[in-house]
Amino acid sequence: MRVLALSFLALLAACGTDQPGRLRPPPGPPTGATTIHVPDRLTSIPTGEVDALGRPQRAPCVGCHSLRRPARLPSSVDELDEFHQGLRFVHGGVSCASCHVVGDQDVLHRADGTIIPMVDVLQLCAQCHGPQYRDYLHGAHGGMNGAWDLSSGDRVRNNCVDCHDPHQPAFQPSVPVLPPRDRGVLQGRGAR
Amino acid sequence: MSSPTRRVALKVVGGTLGAGAFAYAARPFVQWASALSVDEVLRRHYKELTPDEMSQILRQLEADTKARYGADVHIEDLPPQEGVSFGYALNLSVCIGCRKCAEACHVENNHDRRTNNSYIRVLEMDQGSFDMERGQVDYDHAVPAPGKYYMPVQCHQCDNAPCVKVCPVEATWKEPDGVVVVDYNWCIGCRYCEAACPYHARRFNWQAPEIPADQINPDQGYLSNRIRPKGVVEKCTFCLHRTRRGQLPACLEACPTGARVFGNLLDPDSEIRWVLEHKRVYVLKEELGTRPRFFYFFDV
Amino acid sequence: MSDHSPDPVDAIDLPRSPTPLPGHHITYLRFLGRGLRLAFTGSWRFYAWMSVLTAIGLVGLNAWGQQLLHGMQVTAMTDHVSWGLYIANFTFGVGLAAGAVMMVIPAYLYDDHDMHDVVIIGEILAVSAIVVCLGFVIVDMGRPDRLWHILPGIGRFHWPVSMLAWDVLVLNGYLLLNLHIVGYLIYMRYLGRRPARRFYLPFVFLSIVWAISIHTVTAFLYQGLGGRPFWNSALLAPRFIVTAFISGPAFVIVLLEVVRRYGGLRFGDGPIVTLSRVMRITVLLNLFMLGSELFTALYAGGAHATSVKYLFFGAHGKHALVPYIWTAVALNVASGVILLSSRSRTSRRWLLAACGCAFVGVYLEKGMGLIIPGFVPSTLHEVVEYTPTLTEWKISAGVWALGLLVLTVALKIGLAVWTGRMRDASTPAPQVAPVDDDAAAEPA
Repeated sequence: MRVLALSFLALLAACGTDQPGRLRPPPGPPTGATTIHVPDRLTSIPTGEVDALGRPQRAPCVGCHSLRRPARLPSSVDELDEFHQGLRFVHGGVSCASCHVVGDQDVLHRADGTIIPMVDVLQLCAQCHGPQYRDYLHGAHGGMNGAWDLSSGDRVRNNCVDCHDPHQPAFQPSVPVLPPRDRGVLQGRGAR
Repeated sequence: MSSPTRRVALKVVGGTLGAGAFAYAARPFVQWASALSVDEVLRRHYKELTPDEMSQILRQLEADTKARYGADVHIEDLPPQEGVSFGYALNLSVCIGCRKCAEACHVENNHDRRTNNSYIRVLEMDQGSFDMERGQVDYDHAVPAPGKYYMPVQCHQCDNAPCVKVCPVEATWKEPDGVVVVDYNWCIGCRYCEAACPYHARRFNWQAPEIPADQINPDQGYLSNRIRPKGVVEKCTFCLHRTRRGQLPACLEACPTGARVFGNLLDPDSEIRWVLEHKRVYVLKEELGTRPRFFYFFDV
Repeated sequence: MSDHSPDPVDAIDLPRSPTPLPGHHITYLRFLGRGLRLAFTGSWRFYAWMSVLTAIGLVGLNAWGQQLLHGMQVTAMTDHVSWGLYIANFTFGVGLAAGAVMMVIPAYLYDDHDMHDVVIIGEILAVSAIVVCLGFVIVDMGRPDRLWHILPGIGRFHWPVSMLAWDVLVLNGYLLLNLHIVGYLIYMRYLGRRPARRFYLPFVFLSIVWAISIHTVTAFLYQGLGGRPFWNSALLAPRFIVTAFISGPAFVIVLLEVVRRYGGLRFGDGPIVTLSRVMRITVLLNLFMLGSELFTALYAGGAHATSVKYLFFGAHGKHALVPYIWTAVALNVASGVILLSSRSRTSRRWLLAACGCAFVGVYLEKGMGLIIPGFVPSTLHEVVEYTPTLTEWKISAGVWALGLLVLTVALKIGLAVWTGRMRDASTPAPQVAPVDDDAAAEPA
């Protein structure tokens, strides 16, 4: 019995021949840059046409508006023409003039009249959507790409208008992707 | 009754038939056994491998992937970082249930294409109810649907992980950075961890994954997204082949609503810490005492 | 079967006079050799029985090979129901192994002499049942080529944390204990010597405690899982023990009748009376515990009761297990009724019917009826059903056939020695004349 017990203990002692655990040094100070993405829709508009390779064609705003500067902003979406036709507008009680500046397609104006460049649209949204802006500043709203550890790389923050259509900011219903097709579902006795 | 010679003859015939039947019956077994390599069968546990042995195994795995799947991949074994402990939070107020995260996981982690496998399961829940009994995972209508909210569930990387506790061979354990990993070369496929996990986070390879060569993600980790062998268990690792290099997990980048927040719990300035300190946060099935590192929160 | 051809082994002309004893291992090897010969010789019925079992075993082996080759996709298990028929059978098998101790307890703890005459049968049953259990664990593994990982000291044995590691320990320990006891007692009887108490009695008492432990550990395997409300009940281990003491005695009673008929062993009615008394209690106790579980789940209701509702009535339009469980309940109730009526005491046929009902009832209730509802609904409350595939049935039948082969061979050798038909050349002929049955141990 004693021999048995001893050999059992010896066997147990043979376990744990682990290599020493390896750890890499901790993250250093943030060196990577955080930039805010500038989506195409801030500088161009889809034409509804595709090029020879089937890619959708976009027209830069400046292409038309450098020549054509409307004298006033429309009072409703029905008045829009050309590429802007069919624009849907569902955004609280604001109007075109709440944000856009007549005669200049590259800028927006804040409620206090300050002019800001179109690419700084975040500042405009922040005026009304304070909690979202606060969360955004803390990385808890809006999402991002790249590095969580800024000592290892750069980070690109999503712009408000990457996810939200400024004229209709609520998410529109879409068909979900990748339906579950695992065993059980495949066998036709699937999940509810 | 029967003469000795007849008896012997019967025995000989019976024995021959028996041997023949045995040889026939054992054929698939022999076929399986002959496909095993001695090296593979005798390979030791992840924690016992020296760096040299590990790099040899990594090259071997790369060669195997090339031979089997026809893809050139790079497999790394990146150790955890000091001072890093991962945490993940998900905003239920904004999730729309589009399953883009599940899809990104599917692509990133080289999942079997036939089964649409993913480490993320998205539940469509009834507004005003927290009863998963009324949840649904295979919804196929446009989302977000009125009266519904959505709750993606993936591995919670529990600090008191039932799956780690039950594994009889230590094939799954918690890494210093908080991620629960599986050594696919050590798992014996008993699936006890699958029974133990309260979050349906584990998947078993009922067959070898099928992925076309051009769809294979070549950036692979030994403990994460390398193509798994059949007969072993796998799970979400917070994309550790990405996150240990400082990159964000694939599911976070794919989220179109920015519902996901990931980071280092030990860094007081991290986004995840801000969420935990300022939002209404809860963990799923807290009463089970699993102490998850995956948090749900609401916008307030 | 009227001709009295002597047992083939006994026909070998061995010197009957006391000869100088050859070395111990030579004697032992000769014992093994004779045992092996005995395992391959017998009446036509023995051959038929062994051939049928071998054939089923080979079908199982072939199916297992297919499963290894193609992966476990050939089973009906899913990530939702990740254990199925194999683990259900495993659980039942552990109960059978533990239940066999119901012969050992009266024989050694209560000095029941009648039971003592046949206790070896219980120990042989325990060995065979453990073989079945280990078989089911191995066929359930995705990677049996990595079996060595689970060997203590050689692989990485997650002990004492993992309940499965405990199970490996207690099951193999129980196997070794019983192999030692059975092997030692039979060998001593073969040599015609009195077994030395210190070489087996401590192990017998240890095996009694151990038998309870194997089934307790197996219950802990399930009841320790907080995420599975159906299993996460303190009543599970007591219920396992109680059902073990139904299925074990039920099987043994049938086995004793078979052995009485074909095995050439003479024994009184004592053992069967004792075992049926045990069953009379455990069958009722099990029904009571079942009622208690049902009440707890259904009276409170809520999501945690869904598994119970699914099992007994179906849930969310799925009800694959409803026929199983009601059959089980009906059989358990029937066995209880028969055992309580005086018929079971007067009629062997009624007693055997009760045993059959109880055995099948417990098999259904504790097998599929316990394992599958643990997974339905899943932890995210998805309802995915499970019905075993043909491959799973084939493999399961194969494992049971293997167990019955082991049981038959062990009983044949054991009884041949026990009745004095096979003994060492120097052993005096037994006082009791060997019975005149040429067909040796042949449970059918």
